[in-house]
Amino acid sequence: MSFAALILATTLASAGPLSIGAPAPSGATKMKSALDGKSVSIAEVAGKAGTLVVFTCNHCPFARGWERRIADLGNAYAKKGIGVILINANDPAKYPEDGYAEMQARAKTLGLQVPYVIDDTSNVARAFGASVTPEAFLFDKNGKLAYHGTVDDNHTDPAKVTKRYLADALEAVVAGKPPAVAETKGIGCGIKFR
Amino acid sequence: MRVRAQMFAGILALAALLGGRAGAADSAVDAPAPPRPAASPKSTGAPLPTPADLATILAAVRAPGARAVLVNLWATWCDPCREEMPDLIRFYRAHRAEGLRLVLVSADDPESQKDVARFLAEAGADGAQAFIKTGDDMAFINGLDARWSGALPASFLYDRRGEQRQFWPGRVTLPDLEAALAQIAAPPKGGPHHETKGHP
Repeated sequence: MSFAALILATTLASAGPLSIGAPAPSGATKMKSALDGKSVSIAEVAGKAGTLVVFTCNHCPFARGWERRIADLGNAYAKKGIGVILINANDPAKYPEDGYAEMQARAKTLGLQVPYVIDDTSNVARAFGASVTPEAFLFDKNGKLAYHGTVDDNHTDPAKVTKRYLADALEAVVAGKPPAVAETKGIGCGIKFR
Repeated sequence: MRVRAQMFAGILALAALLGGRAGAADSAVDAPAPPRPAASPKSTGAPLPTPADLATILAAVRAPGARAVLVNLWATWCDPCREEMPDLIRFYRAHRAEGLRLVLVSADDPESQKDVARFLAEAGADGAQAFIKTGDDMAFINGLDARWSGALPASFLYDRRGEQRQFWPGRVTLPDLEAALAQIAAPPKGGPHHETKGHP
């Protein structure tokens, strides 16, 4: 029992996220969008300049703190050739606030112009090795992971941000360059897997 | 079972030390029991959470005199963190006399100090050290463990030398904690003699 627990803990700890340079997994998985009820896949939203996948949700204070910035970045860079998709992998049975109706409300409030979809098995999040909300994966024009991590260094106050990790990475990818900082981390809520 | 686990914590730890099936871990498989506070669940001995950077927190972790140190990253708004707290405190109380320290690091905003303090008092976290994390997230996360994604909760177990021996991303269970503590108590490389338990 104790040995098995240790093995399990070790396995969980070593199962890391997608590596820089890797392609997007689960590209063909169709996921229902809260914007229009239509199902869309990562492959379908992929942009000519790159693709941004963000695992996020409604309830998490960190996701809420960054949601306006995520929406604004998504809307802005969708116009610059980046395909953008926001994915909610949380189980609404655990957090009713993360259900479809709430996603629709958030999408409307934020003026989202990019899909905000349900990963209804949480398997897309698993395939990415995502573990936290929000967590961004930015792929370059060749479909290789160019940036993975958090939005910036202050989830509560945009005025106090000193490092615009995701915005800088988006700008680099649009310019066809590798981001100066490819991997970052931020404290956030664990994804509530189904 | 729970009562025996607490009363004979030292004996159970010794059993684990000698390489038998971890009795402590087995006992912890029982159905969850309500916290059994040593004194009052809402006593005045609850820790006052203080804002602290990584260096301060690591200094507390590595302060000499502990058999082991359990560090838990949590937040008042984090449901799984609140849910696991009774188990952490139960584990701490069962092994505190053997030299286990509990360091609770909140990721709440420092302005939420009163809320953090209230939660810890109600949880009966008497004797634990409590901090509210300050400073850059990424440096903090990687400074604790590069394997940690930053997702809450997360727990880490350190040995008496201040070396990290176990990392649990997500919610931790009593059997996990008991098994890991038993490992720390075991002599290195299965040697014939075992170290003296506890510290003055």
